[in-house]
Amino acid sequence: MRFGMILLAGIIACSLAGSLIPQGESAMTYVQAYGAKTAKILIDIGFTNIFHSWYFCMLEILLCGNLILCSIIRFPKTRRMFREMKRKAAETETAEPLSPGQAEKIRQMLKRGGFRQEGEVWSKNSIGAYGSFLTHVSILVVLGFGSLVLMTPKITDRTVMPGESIRMDDGTKVTCLSFHIEDKNGKLDYASLLRAESADGRESREQEIRVNEPMRFGGKKIYQQTYGTAGQALIHNDTNGAEETVWLTEPCFLSIDSRNGVYFQALYPGFIQEEDGSYTLITSSSMGYSNPVYSVQSIADGASASVLAFPGETLQIGEVRFTFLMPTEYPGLRIKEVSTALYAGLYFGFGLMVAALYLCFFMAPVCVRVNEDGYQVHSPKPQEGLKIRIQTAAEEE
Amino acid sequence: MNELLFASLILYFIATVLQFTGTAMKKNALQRVARGVLAAGFLAHTAFTVWRGIAAGRLPLANQFEFASAFAWAAALMGFLLHRKLGQEGILTVGMPAAFLILSYAALQPREIHELMPALRSAWFGLHIGSAAFSYAAFAIAGGLGVSYLIQIRKGKKEEDAAMKQLDYMEYRLICLGFLLLTVVIFSGAIWAEQAWSSWWSWDPKETWALITWIFYAIYLHQRMRAKWHGKRMAILAIVALVMVLFTFAGVNLLLPGLHSYATN
Repeated sequence: MRFGMILLAGIIACSLAGSLIPQGESAMTYVQAYGAKTAKILIDIGFTNIFHSWYFCMLEILLCGNLILCSIIRFPKTRRMFREMKRKAAETETAEPLSPGQAEKIRQMLKRGGFRQEGEVWSKNSIGAYGSFLTHVSILVVLGFGSLVLMTPKITDRTVMPGESIRMDDGTKVTCLSFHIEDKNGKLDYASLLRAESADGRESREQEIRVNEPMRFGGKKIYQQTYGTAGQALIHNDTNGAEETVWLTEPCFLSIDSRNGVYFQALYPGFIQEEDGSYTLITSSSMGYSNPVYSVQSIADGASASVLAFPGETLQIGEVRFTFLMPTEYPGLRIKEVSTALYAGLYFGFGLMVAALYLCFFMAPVCVRVNEDGYQVHSPKPQEGLKIRIQTAAEEE
Repeated sequence: MNELLFASLILYFIATVLQFTGTAMKKNALQRVARGVLAAGFLAHTAFTVWRGIAAGRLPLANQFEFASAFAWAAALMGFLLHRKLGQEGILTVGMPAAFLILSYAALQPREIHELMPALRSAWFGLHIGSAAFSYAAFAIAGGLGVSYLIQIRKGKKEEDAAMKQLDYMEYRLICLGFLLLTVVIFSGAIWAEQAWSSWWSWDPKETWALITWIFYAIYLHQRMRAKWHGKRMAILAIVALVMVLFTFAGVNLLLPGLHSYATN
C-alpha cells in the first residue's frame, strides 16, 4: 500500500505543477512569463506538457500495475473475509460488558437493523466485503477504457458555411442547413441545423445541434465546437458576365490576374465615425456584427490603396466588380469517430466505481457477538456509529 | 427577497454564537435554543433558494454566489441530519459556523440573476453541481471536526476517550460521504464535458484540482487503515484536505481561469 501512496503523491505533485504552469504554450510564452533560463529548464524537464511527459505516463502505468497486483493478492482474502470474520467473532470473548436484560434489547435492535443471527453472532453486509476489491478493479476499468477513449478517436475539425456541405473520408456528407446565435425569443442559443447523409445516400438524418447536444450518425459524433463570422464578396466579371461568391474568413488576395485585385485584410464588427470624418474600428463587440465594415486594399496597376468597404458597397478594379455583402455566422464542427464498446466500458467503470465505493463505505461487513456477559463488534471499517446505536439500545428504558 | 438571505445569515451567526457559548458553558438549554435559531435560519435560507430558483427558472447553481449559497445550505442540512442521527453536539458546533462562513462568502459575490448560459443547459447540470455542493459541505464539516479534535487534544483530552473516538469517527464518515459524492462530481463532469466539448478530460484547472482533491482523500482513506494513523494525524490530514477543497472551490476560479471560468460570474 505504501508504494501505491507514493505513486498517488507523485500524481498529485505532477498535477499541481500542471495546473500552475500553463500547458502546451509556445516557447516564447514561457520565455516572456519566466525568463529564458527558467523557461528552458521547464521545457527540458517536460513541465510545459507534463500530462504527456514520460514520467507522468510511467506513474500511471505503475499505478495500474500496483492496482492489478493489489486486486490479485486481495481477491482470495476478500472471498474468505466474511467467513473468517464470523468465525473470529464466535471465538473472541465479548469485551463490552452488559447488565442483565441489555443483551435482549441489543438483539432486538440488531434484528430490526437487518442483521442475521447464527448462534451468538449477528452479521450483516456480506457483499460489502467486496467493496474495496471492486473499487480497485473499477479504477483499473476507468483508467483502461478512459485511456483508450482519449487516445483512439479520429477527430476532424471543419468549418461549414450555412447552405454548404463537407464530405468526410468515408464519404459521409454533412450539410449545414442553417446556423443561429439567438433563438426566436432573442435568447442565446448557438444552434446549427445539420443534415448528415451516408456515402451511399441510403441513410440520412436532420438534427439541430448545440453545445450540449451533439449529433450521432454512422459511428460518428458531430459537435458544434466553435462559431465565427465570415465576410462575403460577390465577384462579377463585366467582360464575360461570370459571377462568383466567396467567403472571407481570413486575409486573402482576391486576384484577377495575379497582380490586380482586392486584398481582404479583416472584417470588423463595427465602427465609430469621428467628428473629423475619420473612422475608429471596433475590433470586438459583445453585440455581434451589428455595424460591420471590411478593411481591404485595392491593388491595381502596381498601386494600392487602403479602403473601408461597407456591406453593399462595390469596388471596381478594371473589368471586375467586388461587392461586399452582409457577413454570415457559421459553425465550427468537430467530427469524432466513436466506439460504442469503449464508451460502454467507460460508463460501466464509472457506475462500478460509484457502486463499489458505496459498498465500501456504507455497506461494510460487520459481525456482532452478543451474549449475556457483553457484546463485541467486528468489522474491517470503523463502526463507532453502530457502537453508539448498540449502547443507546442497551440503555433504553 | 435578499432580506431572506440576510435573515438566514444573521440567524446562522446567532446560532453559532449561542452554540459556542452553550458548549463553553456546558448549558444544554442554550444549545437547544441554538438549534432552534439554526432551524429558523435554515428555513429562511431554503425559502430564499426556492425563490431564487423560481425567479431564475432553473436550479440556482449557476454562478459563484449560487453555488456558495447551496454549499452553505448543504452544510446546514448535513449538520442537522447528522446531529439527528448521531446525537453529537460536535456536528452542530462545526456545522453552524461552516454554514455561516460559507454564506458570508456567498453574500460578498455578485447576486444578479443571469440567464443560464448555453454551455450550462444540460441534464447533468443539477447532478454535477448539486453533488459538488454536498460533497464540499461534507468535507467542510469533516475539516471543522478535525479542527475541533485538535482543540480538544490541546485541552488535554486523550485520543482513547470515547468522545474523541466518536469525533474521529464522524470525521471519517463525512469524508467517506464526501469522497463518494466527489467521485459522482468527477464522473458526471466527464460525461458532461464529452457531450459539450467532445473531450472527457482536458486537464482544465478545475478538473485537475478536483482530481488532486480526490487523490488526497483517497490517500486519507488508505492511511486510515494503517495502525498508527488515527486521531490527531487524521485530523491534520482532514484540515489540509479541506484547504485543497476550498482552493478548488474559490481559489481556482480566481487564480487559474479555464473552462469553468463562468463560475466566477
